[in-house]
Amino acid sequence: MVTTTERGGSGQDIRRDNPIKAFFRATELDTRILGMVGAMLVIWVIFDVWSGMLRPNEGLFGGAFLTPRNLWTLLVQTSSIAVMTTGMVLVIVMREIDLSVGSMLSMVAVFGAVLQVYHLGPALGVGHPAIWIIAMAACLLAGTLVGAFNGYLIAFLQIPSFIVTLGGLIAYKGVAFLLASGETVAPMDKTFKIVGGGVPEGWLGPFWSWTLGILACIGIVLALISGRKQRKKFGFPLRPIWAEVTLAAIGSAAVLGTTRVVTSYPWPFKLIEQYATANNVPIPQGVEDKSGAAICMAGDQIVRCTDGLIYYTGYAAPVLIALIVGGAMTFLASRTRFGRYIYAIGGNPEAAQLAGINTRLVTVKVFALMGFLVGLSAIIASARLDAATNALGQSNELYVIAAAVIGGTSLAGGVGTVYGALLGALTMQSIQSGMQLLNLPAAFQDIVVGTVLVIAVFVDQLYRRRIK
Amino acid sequence: MHKAIVAAAMLAAGLATSASAEGKTIAVSWKTFQEERWKTDEAAIKAVVEAAGDKYISTDAQGSAQKQAADIESLISQGVDVIMVVAFDSDAILPSIQAINDAGIKAIAYDVQFEDPNALYITFDNVGVGRLMAKTMLEKGRQDGNFAFIKGDKGDPNATFLFQGIMEVLQPNIDSGAIKNVCETFVDGWKPDNAQKAMEQCLTANDNKIDAVISENDGMASGVVAALTAQGLAGTVPVTGQDGDKAALNRVALGTQLVSVWKDSRVLGKMAAEAAVAMANGTPMEELPGVAKFSGGKKGVEMNSILIPPNPITRANLSDVIDGGWITKEEVCAGVPAGTVDVCG
Repeated sequence: MVTTTERGGSGQDIRRDNPIKAFFRATELDTRILGMVGAMLVIWVIFDVWSGMLRPNEGLFGGAFLTPRNLWTLLVQTSSIAVMTTGMVLVIVMREIDLSVGSMLSMVAVFGAVLQVYHLGPALGVGHPAIWIIAMAACLLAGTLVGAFNGYLIAFLQIPSFIVTLGGLIAYKGVAFLLASGETVAPMDKTFKIVGGGVPEGWLGPFWSWTLGILACIGIVLALISGRKQRKKFGFPLRPIWAEVTLAAIGSAAVLGTTRVVTSYPWPFKLIEQYATANNVPIPQGVEDKSGAAICMAGDQIVRCTDGLIYYTGYAAPVLIALIVGGAMTFLASRTRFGRYIYAIGGNPEAAQLAGINTRLVTVKVFALMGFLVGLSAIIASARLDAATNALGQSNELYVIAAAVIGGTSLAGGVGTVYGALLGALTMQSIQSGMQLLNLPAAFQDIVVGTVLVIAVFVDQLYRRRIK
Repeated sequence: MHKAIVAAAMLAAGLATSASAEGKTIAVSWKTFQEERWKTDEAAIKAVVEAAGDKYISTDAQGSAQKQAADIESLISQGVDVIMVVAFDSDAILPSIQAINDAGIKAIAYDVQFEDPNALYITFDNVGVGRLMAKTMLEKGRQDGNFAFIKGDKGDPNATFLFQGIMEVLQPNIDSGAIKNVCETFVDGWKPDNAQKAMEQCLTANDNKIDAVISENDGMASGVVAALTAQGLAGTVPVTGQDGDKAALNRVALGTQLVSVWKDSRVLGKMAAEAAVAMANGTPMEELPGVAKFSGGKKGVEMNSILIPPNPITRANLSDVIDGGWITKEEVCAGVPAGTVDVCG
């Protein structure tokens, strides 16, 4: 995840640079991404300080933003957009665009909801284990097919993707309305709902979160080792060992830090209470202390306390899905032939075609993949809301494209990374959630988000010009 | 609502004696027939008109002001007796209304107001929806504590009208310090997923110390309830809504939503059709039951109007929506434990 896809290794001339430049050259860290991370951290600190001035809280700087609870919620809120953004990067890299993802999400979400609530529920009995499997498979299949259909129109009928997907934006919205006559379809299947991360079953818990975090660290080390072997095999310049170790340390620190944050958010007090009473978990005796997140018995009353029965959430299901999709898409984009083809087509479509790449087939595949990811997001979004309506997901295309662009994807094609786009999605959601936390007017939020989009692209271009 | 039903019954009784059944024609010019709800209205109108022995005809403007003007021209030349208009554009329609008046035909502004003093305006009391939400909250939810306000799209005037009605009722309690407004936000496009995020942030900012949520419609209420559920608070924090969404009525039965203010479009259609039949038979509009002067439009033109009060549906009167045929008992009662709600048994 640390090597960039658009620039290969260039480890020469380390001696002549100053130490900072030498460091970045040796580690091949993407300074632009680092700048983005830095900007995002600054935004986080500002929100934490600002919200702390309004109402002191337990955040790192006395506010409500840098608390495990808010960061955990932020990750959950980002996941649906994040999943779609990973696909949008590839679409834009290929010099295409997909404006239909928001409407497609509504359509697929309503389709999945109608299927499970109106058809499968009555037919199999509400709560039947086949319901969630069929519903999810149907959503993923529907998304993939619609995406492939978009891709077919673009690749084989040669209609510009802007037009095809603009048509889709309008048409799929209509289909979403008709599928349920404009009604809200609810509630979702019990197991289906887990994917939304709104119920305790959708939380990994500390043990599995740490296990997963440590496995991810091992994965990072193995990836670095295998990358080094590959470079040796093909005679590419190698990073110095200290640079490899630094990269492993940075990557592991990020993974373990995130794990630490999500495992320190306790279950909401009321849910611990509900769970304990429902499952006959003994509640320890304690003294009443309203500030705590745990529960105790004070006499025969259940009260909040600081050191009684407590559970921690860990990674939420949608976040886990977004992270896995992010990893898989990064691998797809940077380590597979299919990924190389996409960047080759984006760099120069004619040359790619002349080089023997079946550009049409790749286009269909990329749009089908985009559709699959929309299907996945539709599952996450409707599971999280525990309902589906034709309003769900509307105008999401704007946020998905904005996230990809803020994350450094060039609309001119050929350039863009999956992890950059994920960061872009997180940054945008940070700004929105932060402003909502401060209770700022909605119109003001729109202005800030729009401005950030333009500034991000401007700074990105300045940076690229300087690099050249 | 009860007043409305009584009024409708009186009107029906009046008609039974005065109907001369000489085959009048009642026409409706719809602004667009693509929305599901207008089909419900039409069925109600048609039933009343045909029961009175009159003829029902209609045109569909398909969302175009020009098409609607042409539609009305053609209705005038067909020599109908009353034209109900669901205006696509309440200003652009005025010349067509003038033409209706000139032809000696009676015009009814159905659901959407146009400001012509010769026409009858019949609609739901929209300003009243906000008042009803707040009133139900005070009577059956909370009179004090931390309130969150989840408002509709900032570009939609209805979101603001609703809020004015809500504030009118809550203001005394806010002034006395009993109610604290801790979160207030517009939600882009009335979208439930955005409402969910807004509610999550509101809960985070206030450490879950939210006692009541005023959500301006049922769709957003679904997002609010999802956010409350994730904190284990659903059912303990009263939430408002409007529209009579099936999912929302189910939440009312489950206890996770306090009220859904319901505008039964069949009552609107029935009352309008009865007024139209009466007017076709020569009853002056001032003498129609429930008619009052209304001048709350943009230009303040005084019109005869019938404002139908909406019905706040809570656990206590869920039978209204079931008996009205709006929703089945099974849909309302899905997942409701036995013995908690009367209608569900």
